[in-house]
Amino acid sequence: MSDKVTLTPLNTEPEIPAVRGTRFHEQNISDPRTETVPNSALYDADPTGHTDHDSDPNLQKLRELLFLREMELLRKLEKRLNDPLQHAQETSEVIAEALLLRSQQKDNMLYTAFEPMSERLLNDAVRKNPMDFVNVLFPLMGPAIRRSIAETFHSMLEGFHKTMEQVFSWKGMRWRWQAMRTGISFSEVVLLHTLLYRVEQIFFIHAETGLVLSHVYNEGVVTQDAEMVSAMLTAIQDFARDCFTGKQESSLDSLQMGEFTIMVERGSSAYLACVVRGSVPLEFKEKLRDTMIALQLKFADALNSFKGDTEKFLPARWDLENLLDARYADEDAPLPFWVKLLPVVLVLLLALGGGYLWHNVQQQNIAREEAKKYMEASFSQVGNEPGILLVEARQDAPDHWEAIYLKDRFAEDPQSLLDAKGIDPETYTLQVIPHVSYEADMLTKRVKERISPPESVSMVFDKDGTLYLRGEAPMSWILQARQEALALPGVEKIDMSGLIDPRVDELKRMIALVETTVVEFPSGKDVPVSEDAAKLAKAINTLVDIEKLAGSMNVTVNLTIYGHADATGSSKFNYEISQARARTIAAMLYNRGSAIPIAIYGMGSEHASQEPSEYTGNQTSRKVELRVHLAQLPSDTVLNILH
Amino acid sequence: MISKKICMIGAFSVGKSALVARFVHSIFSDQYLSTVGVKISKKVIDLNGADLTMVLWDMEGKDDFADVHMSYLRGAMGFFTVADGTRRETLTMALRLRELALETAGDVPHIIIVNKADLDWEISDAQLADLEASGIRIIRTSAKTGLGVEEAFTTLAEAMMKN
Ligand SMILES: Nc1nc2c(ncn2[C@@H]2O[C@H](COP(=O)(O)OP(=O)(O)OP(=O)(O)O)[C@@H](O)[C@H]2O)c(=O)[nH]1
Ligand SMILES: [Mg+2]
Repeated sequence: MSDKVTLTPLNTEPEIPAVRGTRFHEQNISDPRTETVPNSALYDADPTGHTDHDSDPNLQKLRELLFLREMELLRKLEKRLNDPLQHAQETSEVIAEALLLRSQQKDNMLYTAFEPMSERLLNDAVRKNPMDFVNVLFPLMGPAIRRSIAETFHSMLEGFHKTMEQVFSWKGMRWRWQAMRTGISFSEVVLLHTLLYRVEQIFFIHAETGLVLSHVYNEGVVTQDAEMVSAMLTAIQDFARDCFTGKQESSLDSLQMGEFTIMVERGSSAYLACVVRGSVPLEFKEKLRDTMIALQLKFADALNSFKGDTEKFLPARWDLENLLDARYADEDAPLPFWVKLLPVVLVLLLALGGGYLWHNVQQQNIAREEAKKYMEASFSQVGNEPGILLVEARQDAPDHWEAIYLKDRFAEDPQSLLDAKGIDPETYTLQVIPHVSYEADMLTKRVKERISPPESVSMVFDKDGTLYLRGEAPMSWILQARQEALALPGVEKIDMSGLIDPRVDELKRMIALVETTVVEFPSGKDVPVSEDAAKLAKAINTLVDIEKLAGSMNVTVNLTIYGHADATGSSKFNYEISQARARTIAAMLYNRGSAIPIAIYGMGSEHASQEPSEYTGNQTSRKVELRVHLAQLPSDTVLNILH
Repeated sequence: MISKKICMIGAFSVGKSALVARFVHSIFSDQYLSTVGVKISKKVIDLNGADLTMVLWDMEGKDDFADVHMSYLRGAMGFFTVADGTRRETLTMALRLRELALETAGDVPHIIIVNKADLDWEISDAQLADLEASGIRIIRTSAKTGLGVEEAFTTLAEAMMKN
């Protein structure tokens, strides 16, 4: 302590800091808080233990005498440092120069420091009042943008012309025509190419029953019956499980079908099946899983007690619709500021360009709508053609369709029908599934192929599947045709009453002649009365003709000859004489060389009139009757044909 | 909206598909039957003023039980076992399949259909009467003429709605 008291007055100005330094040092050991000593300590009396000489008026006086000017200076300096206003004022005087200096050093620090702020400011400003910016920017950017658009169009056209030249005219022309007709814009084509994925449909399916609980789909997606699709999906999964793993808990996660993926996410009692076009990103799978978990929890009770009532699952729609998203390439690359402005500027340009462009766009939309309608109408018209059924026609891309037809073997080719309508085959893909149609036209063709009718025969079908055949045809064909046509599905009944075989008529006439011939016999004789000889000869000749004609028609003839006797005489005698009479006729036929099988019946006097002969006039019971049978014909056919 | 899953089982060629075809139309081709062993069809019927959607699983008939995809029967809310009246053995098969189905699907409404009523039968009325007496519901149908088809489906539908 004492050395200090003595030393202080002896030291000159520059030593003041040194003295204080020493004191600091000592104090620091015991109390580090004193590190921040106020500046005033430089000239004020120190309140901490030096009161003895600081308060000493003499010393004070001496100090003032010696350092008055310096003390004043220090006081001013201190004030400047402590007053923010003053500080600001001073900084403001040099800030520009300072920034300039700093910016000349190439360390980018300034830029980094200012960037976020300026960006935010700019954004805010644009958002608050975009028109101001547009107004300011337009004179500058307008011409540049206009030029860049013109250039884009130009190079696009050039590319187009080049392609046309390369591919030579035909394809190029077709493309041009296609573009004109469908009105599909370039940008849409680009869009399609950059489509990464799109969730087209989502099925929420009860796992055990395969019944659909909820079904949502993206706009414009053509869907099949959700109930059937869900059941089929479930069946396919059951099938896969049975066949490949046999384990209950394993499951099918996805099915690949061309550009579509069906993704399956299983919950404990339900599952989600998503139809996705394109390649599915991982994040979607996660989203799908989250949704499934959420639905499983939300509908736990309803799912476990499910008895087919799907009403309860209506709210699931909202969850499902959230999954219906799409992603395009480049979508999340951040856009530069001026690109964001571009639409605004473009709108302006359009306004400037007047109704012309607008009109064009409008026309294009109309053209596109019309093209779409035309395609739809064409597909369904073709589906209405006989034997063709349109299962589905859907637009699977802006300029592309997919159509599925069922086609009978005899129907016209859908492809050529569409060609005939002038539809570019490049704009669609066809799937043609063979099918057997019961439409009258197809049935007719099928029957025609099977029975190959002669030209003289015409065929008509009615609604009930009855086939009417009319015209002249050989008997053998008629019989064959009947069997074969009835074997065809769709042919329920055949009406052949309109069919005639000219030979059948002839046959009928001849049979009638034979059957109406009655040959009489004298009492007790088995040789016919001479008056009937000519009649008999004619009948015999006719029978020979019948045999020949029937033979040519593949029909076998049988003959039955009934011999009769009158009531006089014993029944034994009558029986014998009647049989002898029949045999006489048979012998005559055999003598003529006929091979007709003949059955002979002696009827005795069974059919003889019991009346005295005077009442029966010249009708006698002593006679022979002939009956012709055409064998091997189904009886109803015979009836049909012979009536 | 009420939907029900219904299975058609039975020996081969008894007319399961023909019965379904009589009753509905399907969007799927018969190809599925031979590949996956089942074909799905759907019919919405009006049952006392309310719509009921019947999703029909027409299963491929097999000679051998071991080949039957019983897992398709899981969750069935009703089923038909179909026999062919002209072949006695198909009824035996139908009865055995019925037992299996009840094990898999639980005690759900079901009907035995004896089909091809338009032809001469090997199965006798007495035989069917015996079964009916034991509480089994039997309906005679012909997919060809349509006899009994509508009745079979509506009867099952009604039973399922009560269940
Ligand atoms: N007459 C007659 N034939 C029938 C009837 N039902 C089916 N058929 C015929 O019987 C055959 C078999 O009929 P399907 O319906 O394919 O029989 P299925 O039971 O589905 O046969 P699988 O699928 O092989 O098990 C077909 O030729 C049908 O035309 C009927 O009621 N009456
Ligand atoms: Mg079948």
